[in-house]
Amino acid sequence: MRGENVLFLFVLVTAAGFFAFNVQRLVGYMLLGQADWRWDRPFARAWNVLRVGVAQTKILREPVAGLMHATIFWGFMVLTAGTVEILVAGVFPSFSFALFLPAPLLPLYELSQDAFAVFVIGAIGFAYLRRLVLRPRRLDGDGVHHGDALFILGMIAGLMVTLLLSQAFLEVARPGSLSGAHAASRMIATALAAMPADAAWTAHRIQWWLHAILVLGFLNYLPYSKHLHVATSLFNVFFANTSWKGERAVMRPMDLEADDARFGASDVEHLTWKNLLDGYSCTECGRCTAACPANITGKPLSPRKIIVNTRERLMERGSGDTGHRLLDNYITEDELWACTSCRACVTECPVSIDQLDVINEMRRFLVLSDSRFPQEIQPAFESLEKNGSPWAFSRSDRAQWADGLNVPLLADLAARGERPDVLFWVGCMGSFDDRARKTTVAFARILQTCGIRFAILGQEEHCHGDPARRLGNEYLYQVLAKDTIDTLNRYGVMTIVTSCPHCFHQMGNEFPQLGGHYEVIHHSTYIERLLRENRVPLSSAEGKRLTVAYHDSCYLGRYNDVYDAPRETLKRALPVVTLVEPARTRDRGLCCGAGGGRMFMEERTGKRINAERVEELLATGADTIAVACPFCMTMMHDGAKARDASASVVDIAEVVAGRLA
Amino acid sequence: MKIAVCVKRTPDSESRFKIGSGGAAIDETGIKFDMDDFASYAVEVGLQINEKQGPGETVVLAVGPDAVQETLRKAMSMGADRAVQLRTDSTPFDGMAVARALAAELKAGGFDLILFGKHAFDTGAGIVGTAVAAILDLPCVTAASQLEIAGGKGSARRELEGAGELVEFPLPAVVTIDEGIARPRYPSLKGIMAAKKKPLETKPAQLGAVRVQAKAMALPPERPAGRIIGQGAAAVPELVKLLQNEAKVL
Amino acid sequence: MPNVLVFAETRGAELRKVALEAVTAGRAFVDAAGGGEVHALVAAPSGGAAAAALGKHGADLVLACEHAGFARFAREATAATLAARATSGYRAVFIPFSANGRDLAPRVAAKLDAPLVSDVTSVAQSGDAIVAKHPGFANKVIIEYAAAGPLVVVSLRPSAFTPAESPKAGRVESFAPVADPGAERIVVKGVQEGATGKIDLGEAPVIVSGGRGLKSAENFKLVEDLAAAFGNAAVGATRAVTDDGWRPHADQIGQTGRQVSPQLYVAVGISGAIQHLAGMRTARTIVAINKDPEAPIFKVADYGIVGDAFEIVPALTAAVRDARKRH
Repeated sequence: MRGENVLFLFVLVTAAGFFAFNVQRLVGYMLLGQADWRWDRPFARAWNVLRVGVAQTKILREPVAGLMHATIFWGFMVLTAGTVEILVAGVFPSFSFALFLPAPLLPLYELSQDAFAVFVIGAIGFAYLRRLVLRPRRLDGDGVHHGDALFILGMIAGLMVTLLLSQAFLEVARPGSLSGAHAASRMIATALAAMPADAAWTAHRIQWWLHAILVLGFLNYLPYSKHLHVATSLFNVFFANTSWKGERAVMRPMDLEADDARFGASDVEHLTWKNLLDGYSCTECGRCTAACPANITGKPLSPRKIIVNTRERLMERGSGDTGHRLLDNYITEDELWACTSCRACVTECPVSIDQLDVINEMRRFLVLSDSRFPQEIQPAFESLEKNGSPWAFSRSDRAQWADGLNVPLLADLAARGERPDVLFWVGCMGSFDDRARKTTVAFARILQTCGIRFAILGQEEHCHGDPARRLGNEYLYQVLAKDTIDTLNRYGVMTIVTSCPHCFHQMGNEFPQLGGHYEVIHHSTYIERLLRENRVPLSSAEGKRLTVAYHDSCYLGRYNDVYDAPRETLKRALPVVTLVEPARTRDRGLCCGAGGGRMFMEERTGKRINAERVEELLATGADTIAVACPFCMTMMHDGAKARDASASVVDIAEVVAGRLA
Repeated sequence: MKIAVCVKRTPDSESRFKIGSGGAAIDETGIKFDMDDFASYAVEVGLQINEKQGPGETVVLAVGPDAVQETLRKAMSMGADRAVQLRTDSTPFDGMAVARALAAELKAGGFDLILFGKHAFDTGAGIVGTAVAAILDLPCVTAASQLEIAGGKGSARRELEGAGELVEFPLPAVVTIDEGIARPRYPSLKGIMAAKKKPLETKPAQLGAVRVQAKAMALPPERPAGRIIGQGAAAVPELVKLLQNEAKVL
Repeated sequence: MPNVLVFAETRGAELRKVALEAVTAGRAFVDAAGGGEVHALVAAPSGGAAAAALGKHGADLVLACEHAGFARFAREATAATLAARATSGYRAVFIPFSANGRDLAPRVAAKLDAPLVSDVTSVAQSGDAIVAKHPGFANKVIIEYAAAGPLVVVSLRPSAFTPAESPKAGRVESFAPVADPGAERIVVKGVQEGATGKIDLGEAPVIVSGGRGLKSAENFKLVEDLAAAFGNAAVGATRAVTDDGWRPHADQIGQTGRQVSPQLYVAVGISGAIQHLAGMRTARTIVAINKDPEAPIFKVADYGIVGDAFEIVPALTAAVRDARKRH
């Protein structure tokens, strides 16, 4: 046997060497990207690997396909041990785990190998069924490589089959070689028992070699296939943008004063190495695209395509092509502007890819470097500069909603040497939009009725720049945000409550980047707290028996995990309410279409996103749509009106205010 | 081509104005100032012409105190090559005096085209551009809503009330720019950074005798609160009466 | 006893309304200053017909500069001629602040080396100065100007001075232009009436706009008819309506469409969402017609009528047509 072992060693070393060469090549390409420190919070990151990676929590969001994949994945993890054993034994034939595994564990180990080989074959069979017969929509489009997938599935099946056959033939050639724990292999052996021992031995060696070559071939195929995710995904999850409390889903900070002024990304080397690792880790599953509100309604954006393009361009760039670039040659402006920043794609991705990060960096390039953006956004930018609001309303109209309501101004309190307990940040929509003003007034009434010591900034309030930031105009954003922080700090503000999730997210999670640290609470959380503490005097009358579909705001829900507070608020304020959930709800909720600065843009392609969402909400049979965001309010309101629907759209604050004693 | 564009710094048109303590000027507290809208159209037109015609120079000028430098920098962040500030202590209300100062500076400049906004938001007078042309004895087209320059000649559409006059003229010339001709570009951050390094020259303005002053300013009588004047077609006669006598728009 | 030289603007040979306004203003000015003469200068292919009307409105003397070349706007020759006449014995030169008047006034002032105050709604002598009021900052602040010097050029806001009869001699003196109207450096190639006969939204003094309340594209005829009744009106639309294809996108008024500032904005069947208001809030007078009394548009409208647009608008169209006929 010595010759065979030497040959195998040669094969092993060649395969390993080739693989190492590719690893080095791909890592080299990846390091073309910008630096990014991702070694913070190693324990939390490791926990994510266990949760998202090993326990496959995100994959299992789709139960059936998820179980199929989890089986293959767990199978791989378990069978890796066996693979190691086989490869070592290829060089040192007497090697086996039996040499050092303690007695009770050995049969468990052996059973696990056999069992998972069978499970994986079953899963592969189902996978072929899905790809070739069931053909779910998300597995098509964006130039995805079916051939690649089918080939890999075949390889995996081959691996499992050769493994079992190799063991079975061994048992036939040398009965007693396998312990009872090898249940499946022994069953196959029984079926092949008629074979002569020599033939069986040869068959065994052949299967063994096939298996080993398949393993090494598979390994070396990875760098050329979308199945590279097999090698990179656990790392990808470890280094992912995870949502730490207080940093939830924030956009990347930017230093605009830096000498090497690069503003945003137009090509792969402007992205970070992590974005590029994302490219390697994408399996083209399409769950992101299937969840994307823009894609669902016919816009050119596909989050999968963004990442697949990143990888394709990186390969091109890595081999020296500087004639093209990611922007324009691969990803078009239309795709980038179609995004509503709802984070459905990021939420769905089983390997924790951040598609939104790439979109944001490219938007920054378009705006800051090239001033290329949809014409209709320019008035919003100009108005933000001039009026401190994305709409052309006069600053002096800002606190008009409060006329006659006895709402204290922060400046007045400060002049008397007093401080409120909380600052009510009204926001631009709440100040100027007629419908949103009703929410503002409702919430102010609730605060007053509960005796909360609050104040507003009044005319000193201006936009914190979030719309500009979402649209890529980091410069304008920083000017507005810094000024807001100055004002807030000047008054020593510590706690802020706001009825707009965009304001909530911006001031609570992104202001720390610029030195603004405040406790920011969304009004749904605030009201729920008050209700729970029985501080809200509610009417004893039963109230209207409404059937309410609550529409989750993306910036409250997916960005900040606030799903329950608005629902609880409705239930506590109106006990007779019937809450119904639309098909896509909570962290799967469909965006209203206004986020990512799209509120300021025209929707010219496909179906209107708000129409799609209103349809879904009304299909629940609800007579009322409840929202907790002024942008969602406008979108739902317009959507309902367009269908001449009789359903009313209300903010949860209005519901509560309507129930005040 | 060598193009000069004269710009003015005016308060933001959305502002609510109050009268200052002297009663002869607006109270500037809290008022945002920026390049006048029509001036920004003129800058855009100048930049587009030079982009289309090949290499050239776009120079921006402004008359006023040092605060106008911000406006000149904005024009340079849009793409103008250099700027000249003709310094005065305060922004003069005498359009003819401003025109004299600009004409003195522009005279020896060898410009093929001098652009102005058709008027400015604050004074709405439309004096300066045409007066500069008259002083320099250059052909002048006012209120151009379309402008083409080719081969040393220009053609434009000049806005009349509800109609347009199509004209042709030789260069060098002065054109005052109306709205609808071009959307002023939004300066990229790159442009803003570059503008900080472009040359901005300051000279004293040769206004000559200033003969027009704003001696008083007042807010117009309060616009009466809107009201619903009636229901259905029966309210129409009352509406027409109000439009004729009160609003004077009919 | 000051004398005023008035530029009586014509379109071709026909006197424009602003010319009568200017003569009336001149008459009032000299009368208030204790007497003086108003001389009206006409630059037209023929000045005969104009003289009678000018005399009726207060012109003591009509200076008729007749030349075939004045059939079109000959700005350089007109300015030169007007300036040349103005050098002798006038206190002020009044020019309408019309499109052509705006073109002329600074030229004249430059030639005369005189100060110029523009777009005024009142003008009077005050001691040695001439004071005039101008609604500046887009009509938000009334500026009172004082102009010094023996001769001042003043341009008058159209419609600010109502023509009034004050019959004077109106004796005609003919003379030739000092420059050849045919030798203009600005050559007029033609006059275009709007883009497709339509007035541009940005220029229209009156805009009639329709929204969802009109229910269908066909019903926009109501809006078009009302606009036609106004004569100088353009038709606008809300985003909802342009998105549905009832009107072209170019007609959209609002945040993402056109921002307009007409003298009169009539909103028919428009609720007044924030995005639309952002496009028309600065209109001088806003009229709203909507069946929902709670519609936000009523908060910004000066005059509102609650009710069915399909009844109200035709009635309004007829009434406007009548009112304009009598003008």
